[in-house]
Amino acid sequence: MITQTAPATPAAPPSPAPPAARRRRRPSAFRTLSRVLIALIVIVQVYPLAWLFLTSLRSEHDFATGDPFGLPKALTLENYARAFETGDLGKNILNSFIVTMGANILIVLLGMMAAYAIQVLGFRLSRLVRGLFLIGIIVPVQIALVPLFIDYSTVNLLDTYQSMIIPLAGFSLPMSVYLFSSFFEYIPRETYEAASLDGAGPYRIFGLITLPLSLNTVVTVVLVNSIFIWNDFIFANTFVLSEDLKTIPLGMQNYIGAMGKVDWTATFAAVCVTITPLLLVFLVLNKAMIQGLESGATKG
Amino acid sequence: MLPNRSRLSVLVFLLPPLLLYGAAVLFPILQSLFLSFFSWNGISDMEFVGLANYVRMFTADDVFWRSFFNALGYLAICLVLQLGGALLVASLLTSLRRGRELIKTLYLLPAVISTVAIAFLFVRIYSIDPVGLLNQLLDWMGLGSLERAWLSDVNTVLAAVSAPEGWRFTGLYMLIIYAALISVPKELEEAAVLDGASRWTLFTKIRFPHIRPVWITTTIMATTYGLRGFDIPYLMTNGGPGQSSELLTTYMYKTAFTSTDFGYASTISVFIVIECLVAVGLILFMLKRKAES
Amino acid sequence: MKKLFRTAAVAAVTALALAGCGGGGASNSSNVTPTGEIKPREISWLLSRPADGAVINIMKKLADDYAKNHPGFSLNLITTPDRPSYIQKLETLAAANKLPELFDTDATPFAQQLAKQGKMVDAEKLLKTLNVYDDYRPAALDYQRFDDRSLYMIPFQFELEFIWYNKSLLQKAGVSAPKSLDDIPALCTSLRKAGITPIAIDGQDQWPLERYAAYQPFRETGPDFIQKLKKGEAKFSDPAGQKTVEWLAALGKAKCFQDGFSSQGYSDAQNQFTSGKAAMYNIGTWELPSLATDKLNPAVRGDIDFITLPTTEGTATAANEFVSPSGIGMAVNSKTYDPLVSDFLKFALEKYPSEYAATGALSPTTNVKTAIPANATPLYKKAVEKANDLGDEQAMPWDTQLDPTTNGRLQQELVLLVQGDITPEQFTSTMDSAVAQNAPKFFK
Repeated sequence: MITQTAPATPAAPPSPAPPAARRRRRPSAFRTLSRVLIALIVIVQVYPLAWLFLTSLRSEHDFATGDPFGLPKALTLENYARAFETGDLGKNILNSFIVTMGANILIVLLGMMAAYAIQVLGFRLSRLVRGLFLIGIIVPVQIALVPLFIDYSTVNLLDTYQSMIIPLAGFSLPMSVYLFSSFFEYIPRETYEAASLDGAGPYRIFGLITLPLSLNTVVTVVLVNSIFIWNDFIFANTFVLSEDLKTIPLGMQNYIGAMGKVDWTATFAAVCVTITPLLLVFLVLNKAMIQGLESGATKG
Repeated sequence: MLPNRSRLSVLVFLLPPLLLYGAAVLFPILQSLFLSFFSWNGISDMEFVGLANYVRMFTADDVFWRSFFNALGYLAICLVLQLGGALLVASLLTSLRRGRELIKTLYLLPAVISTVAIAFLFVRIYSIDPVGLLNQLLDWMGLGSLERAWLSDVNTVLAAVSAPEGWRFTGLYMLIIYAALISVPKELEEAAVLDGASRWTLFTKIRFPHIRPVWITTTIMATTYGLRGFDIPYLMTNGGPGQSSELLTTYMYKTAFTSTDFGYASTISVFIVIECLVAVGLILFMLKRKAES
Repeated sequence: MKKLFRTAAVAAVTALALAGCGGGGASNSSNVTPTGEIKPREISWLLSRPADGAVINIMKKLADDYAKNHPGFSLNLITTPDRPSYIQKLETLAAANKLPELFDTDATPFAQQLAKQGKMVDAEKLLKTLNVYDDYRPAALDYQRFDDRSLYMIPFQFELEFIWYNKSLLQKAGVSAPKSLDDIPALCTSLRKAGITPIAIDGQDQWPLERYAAYQPFRETGPDFIQKLKKGEAKFSDPAGQKTVEWLAALGKAKCFQDGFSSQGYSDAQNQFTSGKAAMYNIGTWELPSLATDKLNPAVRGDIDFITLPTTEGTATAANEFVSPSGIGMAVNSKTYDPLVSDFLKFALEKYPSEYAATGALSPTTNVKTAIPANATPLYKKAVEKANDLGDEQAMPWDTQLDPTTNGRLQQELVLLVQGDITPEQFTSTMDSAVAQNAPKFFK
């Protein structure tokens, strides 16, 4: 199944490539084609968000009976009113924020430290440790639920912020280690050697060279993980018991009625409200993130 | 290796992450490996059954094998969409002069939306009664004969649940590949163009070999994520109709929490871990050999 | 490193083994009158009910009232309305031996094992001691009972399931509401010919289709078939089994359910019915607020009516015997059962019925009268009154009866059968072997 992934459609136009001499004039046709393609793909990518937003502005009745893909007949904010009335969205957002921040701090700090030890300091068993981290990228999280729950209940960690933060951070750590170590590879060795010759030890080098240089990667790691953590349902559902600690995905359950009947328009209103903070951060930090991903990527 | 480092400094940097990782990830995994040799429903006493769970998995469980092949199909579709799509868009982007940043941002948007909303939207898109977007489009294009209930048809459901998963993270992989593509030295490309190389040869001979290392890591990332795919099929069809969209992960989850057969569920997850390791090994092996030939 | 692994492995074994052994530590489930002083504290109820629904709102209010006389008391309601997520949570808590004072469960084989281990308080004794046992509708309690007639869960609801239909759509197709279950396939064919979707069904949640599987055997043999089937003592290849298999295949062939029903959810199905697209819809009285009040789409409001489950020729059960569930029940944890829990339950269970009936719902008890809301249509009253005239038997939903593995398989195979993807023979042999493989583990 892996061979199928070979690039079947590179950037070339379907017709045999034009001779080099005509290349100067041809690009316009090629460019038009690629622009149309890009526009199409962008529509496919943006459409769902637009649909989500429009649906959250529809009346329940219009949503139930009208064409779900057409434009709403009238716009209403009553779904938002219902969303805020039924759930405690503010508290949910705050909890998600605490969990996301907590996990991110661990992920960034520990990921950076591990990558520094593996990539920059180096030691005899570094390959083995790298391999251990690889397992974490691979294992499906669902399987850890029952053992984790039992472990947490023996150490009295259930129903705390930590019970969500620790597994979320643990399972995201491998990707973070990976991204940081591929970025550290990118920092020229001479930089370190020069600093070493000046008498800087591993701690100073970490604080004065590695840390400031990796800001973009930090942003990337934070954003990529935030997407997953912000929307995490499975750990939160397993470890949280009290209303006061519910995160957004758990809060969404407030719109489920008897026998599985869901108030969808209110749910979508709530989805729109709750992705806004993430979206804002995302749009503001986007440039740094893209740079981080790119610099992390080029060295593979 | 840094010249001035001490054994202590390595430990200072390595121990905290290893501790967290060990406690939150490795230890529970070990526990579940251990559970796979037991029969346990959560509230009964644990009963050691040796390899019985493994024997049952390989010889007596038709749903397991069905889910295994489904998972491979699901993986294939996700990979084509994510890697193929990412490569295509990244290549197109490099030919663009303006608006690259904007498009890159827009392209990442689906990753932000919660899975519940995505699953719900796609159920609507695939619906036939009332007519969903996909069937409507087919109708407009004069392909009315292809209209169907995509999620109820045993022949199309696997592809239909794979597509949203493939689609939502394409942006992430696209960015990585795009970054690699723009790092291809311009001089190399220009020289090739002067030599009369076509776009295709330019791609196969210059660009692709240059991004091969990145390609390997993206493939590994996409493969392991694909093999672990869970929430979209679970939410959209719950594995149905029949077992047509049951994946190993959804089957494992159901075995654990619906059938309360934690021992057997652990056996399945041990298989998933090994399967992922084998897949990664295969990818490395194949791409390395190709590079050498 | 190897040493580290070995240490970790040993630790892993110990931790889990401890939890596993915890299962054995049984408390006394039959002691329902704990002695001692009432010491107010916080107690928790793990439940799976709508967050803003009547049960939760009333219990919150009652807990507040109770706390006025018992400072320091509070009731922590932990709800997970999504049922699969709830079950996952309940099982994880049970595995870690961390169940709270009160928790919701259906009368499933898993719950029966908990009861056998003495983890739940005997509800029959409890209700009798609290002097409320006789207030309950027998049907409401029967729904909560295990096969051996023992009772460990307390009901908070009582619902009746009807087949709702749209008179004008049936008229348009020149047919009338089914008199017998066996009429339904032909009825669907006529409706389809008139371009009408015969039955709207929520295929995504799977229990609605499983109801249809239960109907024919219930009419044919009463509760007998499913009680034997789940233990492997009856088979789908038996006459009663074959009847339902053939009937389901016929429903599929007549295209009774909306196209692509397997991926349509609860609200989709209801919308099909309330927007006048589908002619029939099988749902219970919990939907009265949306089907029998002025909240219902005015375009169909005058056209809808309901029938109870049709009988068949030679039926073993009467027309007034059908599905009448009392919802998910509440179990009382025997480990944490003390004078406080007992006293609070006494307080709450006495006050609950009148509060609940005042919301327009059917109480699980007979000592109160359901208030008909001001905006109700005549159907509301008609539906509520059906509860006064029920037979002794009730059709049990199969999803609470079968062992979970067989149940999961049945839900999947049913869709294939109705869609025509497998033949009745394939269905019969797959299901019979699934029962044979899984039932012995749960029913010994």
